[in-house]
Amino acid sequence: MHAEAASRLLKFVLIPALVVTLAWGVMVVPSRAQVYPERSITGIIQWGAGGTTDRVSRRITPLAERALGQRVVLSNMTGASGAVGMQYVFDQRADGYTLLYAAENPTIYGVLDLSPRNFDEFEPINLFARSIPVVVVRSDSKLRYLTELIHLAKQQPGQIKAGSTGIGGVPFVVGAMMTAVSGVKFNPIPFDGDGPAIPALLGGHIDFHVSVMAAVAEHIRAGRMRALAVIDNVPADVAPGVPALGQMMPEYRPYLPWGPFFGVWVKKGTPAPAVRRLADAFRPAVASEDTREFLDLIGAVPLNLSGDEAMRWVKQWQSVTAWLLHDAKATQKSPEMFGIPRPARK
Amino acid sequence: MELALQAFREFLSPQNVALSALGVVGGIIVGAVPGLSVTMATALLVSMTYAWDTKPALAMMLGIYAGGVYGGSRSAILINIPGTPSAVATGFDGYPMAQRGEAGMAIGLSTVQSFIGGVLGLVALVVAGPLISEFALKFAPRDYFLLVAMGLSLVSRLGAKSMPRALIAAAGGVLVGLVGMDPVTGEGRFTFGLPLLIGGVHFIAVLIGLFGLSEVFYQLGRVGRGDVPQIKIPEVGRILPSWALVLRFLPLSLRTSVLGIMVGALPGTGGEIAALLAYDHAKRTVRKPTRPFGQGAIEGVIAPETANNAAIGGALIPMLTLGIPGDAVTAVLIGALFIHGLRPGPLLMVEMPDLFWFIAASYALANVFLLIFGLMAVRPFVKLVNVNKKILMPMIALISVVGTYAIQNNIYDVFWMIGFGILGYFMKLGDYPVGPMVLGVILGPLADINFRRAILSVRGSVPAFLLELVTNPISLVLTIMMLSAFVPRLPSSAALRGLLGRLRLGKREGA
Repeated sequence: MHAEAASRLLKFVLIPALVVTLAWGVMVVPSRAQVYPERSITGIIQWGAGGTTDRVSRRITPLAERALGQRVVLSNMTGASGAVGMQYVFDQRADGYTLLYAAENPTIYGVLDLSPRNFDEFEPINLFARSIPVVVVRSDSKLRYLTELIHLAKQQPGQIKAGSTGIGGVPFVVGAMMTAVSGVKFNPIPFDGDGPAIPALLGGHIDFHVSVMAAVAEHIRAGRMRALAVIDNVPADVAPGVPALGQMMPEYRPYLPWGPFFGVWVKKGTPAPAVRRLADAFRPAVASEDTREFLDLIGAVPLNLSGDEAMRWVKQWQSVTAWLLHDAKATQKSPEMFGIPRPARK
Repeated sequence: MELALQAFREFLSPQNVALSALGVVGGIIVGAVPGLSVTMATALLVSMTYAWDTKPALAMMLGIYAGGVYGGSRSAILINIPGTPSAVATGFDGYPMAQRGEAGMAIGLSTVQSFIGGVLGLVALVVAGPLISEFALKFAPRDYFLLVAMGLSLVSRLGAKSMPRALIAAAGGVLVGLVGMDPVTGEGRFTFGLPLLIGGVHFIAVLIGLFGLSEVFYQLGRVGRGDVPQIKIPEVGRILPSWALVLRFLPLSLRTSVLGIMVGALPGTGGEIAALLAYDHAKRTVRKPTRPFGQGAIEGVIAPETANNAAIGGALIPMLTLGIPGDAVTAVLIGALFIHGLRPGPLLMVEMPDLFWFIAASYALANVFLLIFGLMAVRPFVKLVNVNKKILMPMIALISVVGTYAIQNNIYDVFWMIGFGILGYFMKLGDYPVGPMVLGVILGPLADINFRRAILSVRGSVPAFLLELVTNPISLVLTIMMLSAFVPRLPSSAALRGLLGRLRLGKREGA
């Protein structure tokens, strides 16, 4: 009697219930892709809290959130020049629910042998902006022009104390440019980033530093530092009156514009509708007046690139940087091994 | 001054007061849970408060900051797991106090001293901010090296039972701290070619493993054998320390506050180093502590607790006067100011004095809340020491795992934490202290990078480096301070100490 009741229960209740559930599941799954995002999204920032990547990401994301209609929960996952965070996103499903907020570093993971990951495994949603590097000295320094710095460095090779933020960092690459073009060498003093390098410059413990505009703009405005040049082809609005390297010395032009960039990526293989939805949400967020003002404040130039345009930008940047590093003998592996072409002469 | 009053009046809106209180409570919780860091909590608030006005957001962040630095001592005192690195030194004597049944008093003391340190830090910020930040800039890499070396030299005095064992543990810690990418050349060090090791081992994972999980293993091992250590049933007793007690130790509090403010104001060093140096200072200058250091000396709780909260005021100094972060949390605060459309930098104080005063006022109020909340609800916390180990220990194990994962959402950190938990267990069995190892992990890499900066600055010339140690006034003072730590029995240093002792109130002699 009991067994019979049980089998009847199975036959008339459980099995139909199962069938209905499965059928509902099958019907719902395809429609899910269309309603992306249907739950909150995780955003992994590959750099620490308070850094430029972090600031830019935390400032722009809330604007895109509104367009997406879902929360984007941001967290910092740092380590190994951002490779830890990138690896994490790579290990997640390519469903558009995990975003990678990255800076330029992954383009040179390969040649520096830092990580097997690279941007080819990710789809750019939006390249937000780029920072303009600027060469700064203390305001009581006797150096007034970049040419004077280069001249002095030729007279005293390897003696002028330059701030350095590690191999592949902004000062390193700009230094490699100066070595490649002007044949000068400095004495790089290592710091963990612009954070500790700037007080060292202000305290007179290093002679000059190459920093992104964001970190030094206020010190220049307050007259504590002097900018010798912006690392770009044309003077920047954010640094009025500061000459551009490419104008002063045209031989630097093939390498310019150069500077850190920031953006958001998803893992390759993410469904096209989700990629489109994200790109559509971020584009107006980056273009907004709010963001423009903020980027201006931190001395960054908006890029707002997505899709193929973004990929081209990254490739060009990678080719310039990887070969500069290689020629400065700072790479572990040749750019050729990764199929990175030498930058085209402009 | 008018501006200050106006800022204070504006600040005392019910909304700001409530947010500050909420921040302090949240900070205490975040600080007490190992692995949850104040930096992380502040960063989270940056995105949460994106759409708010700047000032309420700042009020809450400063509350979290003050509460968080203080909260770390709770878990250090009660379960010997420092909730934050700046509470490591508090555990040296705080935990022995709790073991003696004085948990309530230890918490009360740490609260009052944090308040004193906080207020003194605030006074320094308001009275001498620009001066202190100019002085802090004068510190060259070699001076940072000397400071860190002083912190490391503490290790030799830490292992009361066996100095060689303490030194071995510390050396092991330094080695662990060096794992990863070389800060100068980018080469992997001790990575065995594994990409996993390139990023190094996160020092908080080591801290939680060595203090937290190893204790769990150790205690559970004893529970299994029916060999549960008898802890005196804690009498909550008096929580609020008497005025007499506070006054008696006030000279020490003042000295360690000044130390905390200075170390906090140095960009790149924060509460953890301030607390260690303060503990070291107490150990060196207090001749007759209430009890031997390491066995529940009141001075051993007072010194680090004053210093780490004084370091907040210190860290705010370069942030507000120069736009340079004094530590990791102020770096996030600067980021928050940017996000709110402000320009933190040397001109902030000139162009927006109201903001400066608002931050000072917020921080003052946060300290008041810290005092209130810190002294409230101590009793339920103290009962924690009494909880059956069979229940408490698995809970600590769980918190250790969750807390470690929370550092940077990295599962490898959890593996490291477990590895160091096992190592710490065997260290405890072999009577090796774990504290020096944690110090080694935190201070080793700092000593490394600053020494190399210093030596690269003189292009590798050792004579030039040594010459600078005696020709630069700051370096000279630090060098003498460090050397005197290694030769404590020299007649001249004894005479110097006698002189200093006479200058101080002679009250401690009777202790």
